[in-house]
Amino acid sequence: MKNTLTCREATRLLLEDEEHEIPVADRLALQVHVKICFACERFVSQLNFMRRATRAWRKHSETDDDDTPRD
Amino acid sequence: MSDFAQQIERLRPQLLRFARTQLRNDAWAEDAVSETVLAALERPLSFGGQSQLKTWLVGILKHKVVDQLRRHTREATIMVGEDGEDLDDALFLPDGHWREAPHDWGDPDAACNRRQFFEVLQTCCESLPPVQARVFMMREWLELDSDEICAELAITTSNLWVLLHRSRLRLRDCLQLRWFNAGRSAAEHA
Repeated sequence: MKNTLTCREATRLLLEDEEHEIPVADRLALQVHVKICFACERFVSQLNFMRRATRAWRKHSETDDDDTPRD
Repeated sequence: MSDFAQQIERLRPQLLRFARTQLRNDAWAEDAVSETVLAALERPLSFGGQSQLKTWLVGILKHKVVDQLRRHTREATIMVGEDGEDLDDALFLPDGHWREAPHDWGDPDAACNRRQFFEVLQTCCESLPPVQARVFMMREWLELDSDEICAELAITTSNLWVLLHRSRLRLRDCLQLRWFNAGRSAAEHA
C-alpha cells in the first residue's frame, strides 16, 4: 500500500472523492496523510464547509422570498 | 395582468439571475426564464406566498435550464482547457508541499444563515470560467449526477472531474479572499 502521499496528491484525491468513490487503497493512504498533515486536514474542513454552504445557498435561493434589491 | 402573472413578474429578476449564473449566456438565460414563465402561466395554481411560488418556479426553471443546455450542447462545451493556468502549480511547490498552507476557517457555519455570505458565494460562482461555472452549477444546484452532466455536455467523466476539481479550488480561493480575508466571517455588525 502506498502510504506516502504528497499534499498535492492528497488534495487531488480529496477533490476526486467529492465526485465519486475513490479506491480503498487511496482512501487509506489519504486517512494516514490527513492524520499527520495539518494543512491537508484544514483543506478537508474547508471542503466539508463548502459542501454544507453550497447546500444552504441552494436552499436559500429556492425558498427565500425577500426580493428587496441588494447591491 | 392577473395577480398571478404579477406575482410571477416580481420574481423574474431573481429567476434570471440564477439562470444566468448557470448558463453563463444572457440570451439562453432569458429564454429559459421566458419558457418558465409561460409554463407557469399555463397552469396557474394558488400559493400561500411568494416563497412557495418561487420554489415552484425554480423547480420549473431547473428543467428549462437543462433544456437550454441540451439545445446548445456544442456551444456550451468549449474546450476543457479554458483556463490555461495550472492551478495546482500555483498552489503547490514542485516537491508536492503546499506553497501556503490552507487557512484555518475557524467555525464558519454561522455564515450559512447570512445573506451576505450567499451573495459572496454567488459572486464567486459568477467569476468562475464559464464551463467550470456551468458544470459546478449543474452538479450543485441542478443536482444532476455525473453521467447526466457528461451526457448533456458531451464530455468524458475525466474531463468533468478536472473541471469540478478546478472549480472547487477556485471557489475556495475566492471565499478565502472575499469572505475570510475580508473579516466578514466574524460578527461585524456594530
